[in-house]
Amino acid sequence: MKTAFFHLMPYPDLPDDFPETHRSVWVDIDPGLYDPKVGHRAYNDYIDELEYAASVGFDAIGVNEHHSNGYGLMPSPNIIAASVSRSCPDATIIVLGDSVALYNPPLRVAEELAMLDGITGGRMVAGFPVGSPMDTIFAYGQNPSTVRERYHEGVELITKAWTSDEVFSFNGNYNKLRYVNVWPRPVQRPHPPIWIPGGGSVDTWDWCAENDLVYCYLSYFGYKAGLKTMNGFWNRVKELGKEPNPFQGGFAQFIACADTEAEAWELYREPAEYFFNTCLHVYAGYADPPGYKTPNTVRSGVEGMVERAAREATARAEASAAAKNEPKGPLSAGPNQLTFEQMVEKGYVILGDPTQVTEQVHELCTNMNIGHLMALAHFGNMSKDLVKYNTKLIGQKVLPELRNLFEDEWEDKWWPKPMSAEERQLRDLSESTIGATK
Amino acid sequence: MTDTTSPNALAAQATTTTASTMERLAVGNEEIVVQSAGTGTPVGYLHGMIGTPPGAPILAAADAASLAVTAPCLPGFTGSSPSAITRNIHDWVFHLSAIIDATGLAGGPLVASSVGAMVALEVAAIRPDAFSQLILLSPLGLWDDEDPVVDAYATTLSAQRRLLTKNPAATGVFFDDPEGLEGDELVEYGVARYQTRTSAASLVWPIPDHNLTDRIHRVTTPVTLLWGDSDALAPISYLDRWAAALPNVTATHTVADAGHLIDWDQPAAVAEIVAGSLL
Repeated sequence: MKTAFFHLMPYPDLPDDFPETHRSVWVDIDPGLYDPKVGHRAYNDYIDELEYAASVGFDAIGVNEHHSNGYGLMPSPNIIAASVSRSCPDATIIVLGDSVALYNPPLRVAEELAMLDGITGGRMVAGFPVGSPMDTIFAYGQNPSTVRERYHEGVELITKAWTSDEVFSFNGNYNKLRYVNVWPRPVQRPHPPIWIPGGGSVDTWDWCAENDLVYCYLSYFGYKAGLKTMNGFWNRVKELGKEPNPFQGGFAQFIACADTEAEAWELYREPAEYFFNTCLHVYAGYADPPGYKTPNTVRSGVEGMVERAAREATARAEASAAAKNEPKGPLSAGPNQLTFEQMVEKGYVILGDPTQVTEQVHELCTNMNIGHLMALAHFGNMSKDLVKYNTKLIGQKVLPELRNLFEDEWEDKWWPKPMSAEERQLRDLSESTIGATK
Repeated sequence: MTDTTSPNALAAQATTTTASTMERLAVGNEEIVVQSAGTGTPVGYLHGMIGTPPGAPILAAADAASLAVTAPCLPGFTGSSPSAITRNIHDWVFHLSAIIDATGLAGGPLVASSVGAMVALEVAAIRPDAFSQLILLSPLGLWDDEDPVVDAYATTLSAQRRLLTKNPAATGVFFDDPEGLEGDELVEYGVARYQTRTSAASLVWPIPDHNLTDRIHRVTTPVTLLWGDSDALAPISYLDRWAAALPNVTATHTVADAGHLIDWDQPAAVAEIVAGSLL
């Protein structure tokens, strides 16, 4: 199996009373809360963490796209991908991904990912999410009734632009282009592997299953809650008579590893509470704009991941408002907030020493049939030191125990196929030989 | 107006109708739901944001006001088949233009609410003979940055319900699950309700302004404007904006104890104003 160090890049300094004093971390988060100096430090710490992960055993580093979001400071994942493309010369870089419907024309995505594939020598995964309703519908004003049609047209345009040997015209409903000719061309042929991050739409299961695309369930609620969604995808794969190749599945999981379990409970409590109780304080009114869900998803009753997050956060906020006189310490969960114990018990966070973490990750991957794990080893407001500690333990003590999982039985058809190491150009800051000869 | 000579075939048919009826009508590639109710002067009715489900109060109020109401539902609303072609306001204009021809409402008076009024005004701008007059209930389509229309969809379903009418119970036939409906039928009812909300949202997203001000001077049709005094979605200040922007406003009315969907809160009062406004 393959494991990526997946980063959300949250803003680390939201106030302790944020859930009580603000409506949402997403869409209408108060611009006055953003301190550019904190942002500067966070970006550089986070890029350090990605680079560090690539140096201690992770197969890949993963980035994603959010807008107007206090827990996701990556409106452009491609910028972060570019920033590590040369400093991580061997890692796969998973952009998971670019919200295709938000680019006009989506050729910009084709071009930027082709650039990244060129810089990295073919180490890119191209992820194409529809995008959350908060990102696409509210922050970027897309019409919920057309965003999916626009998205699918965009993916069609991008893949054709990558693969066509000729300049072509594209006459879509949303994109009218007389001359499509993407320069540069991607290194990988016919194109970088395409992964589809999903949040619970049954039509996305169908689309991935029918078109042999990776379905990546980016859940914040862990492997216990995610099983139903992944089973929905695998059932569609089987119904189509296809093999349930685990490498066609991806899953995101928070992991908190320490030398001992007791230490893990102590170290990760605050950042986990910061993430689940502050960063996921999303207003429920942004979760379900009519039209974003397909009729099939409405019919199935499947609740999307961010929809669940928003519903639970709003319920907690309302309960807190009702009990506002109850005492609450600054760093421990309030009376109506999730406790760290609940997060671990429900599987939101896998916690333990390396052996315990290995067992749980193995259980996750085998139960859900997951060959691509997006490990969230940073969460909430973790210090860089703590991230490195967690990352190193996972990379060097957990992942080696799991690396062979599925590898003998299944072919990973969705992993990048880069140029050979000999062909790839590496960073070269040596002095000019011309000057030296004079 | 008692227009027994109107070319409006369906309206003529409606004058003989005493109970609310529903039929499905093929219009282009779509199958449109058309409700009819009341006996009297024929008038068209184009719904607002929650369509015209059976039991919509305006249907029940038609007879007492001596109105024969013909109420087609735009694609996606109230069981009308969703159209694959509703990508922009122009698509909706073509749909409504075809619908008024198919239902015989063309050339007659139309009562139109909220998003329905928005589309009707667009049709009137490009097709001056489309309606003999427009009676508009809290139309959407204008926008003032300093006094914005509230976002009806950046909220929970229950909060949205409170935004639409002063009395949230007034919209029960839309928002509440029907008693006795179970299993797949209940699921499909929920899907249809979601489709209606989808269609309404698509008309106002992200801002209910399709640049009508660029062409509003073309709307020469006589217009009567109604606004609810408790409209929580579109501030009543928009009544003056519309009155100033439209070239041919014949009357304005403020309806007491009514929210955005005026006829859902005060169907009898609206029907009475409509009956008295017909030219």
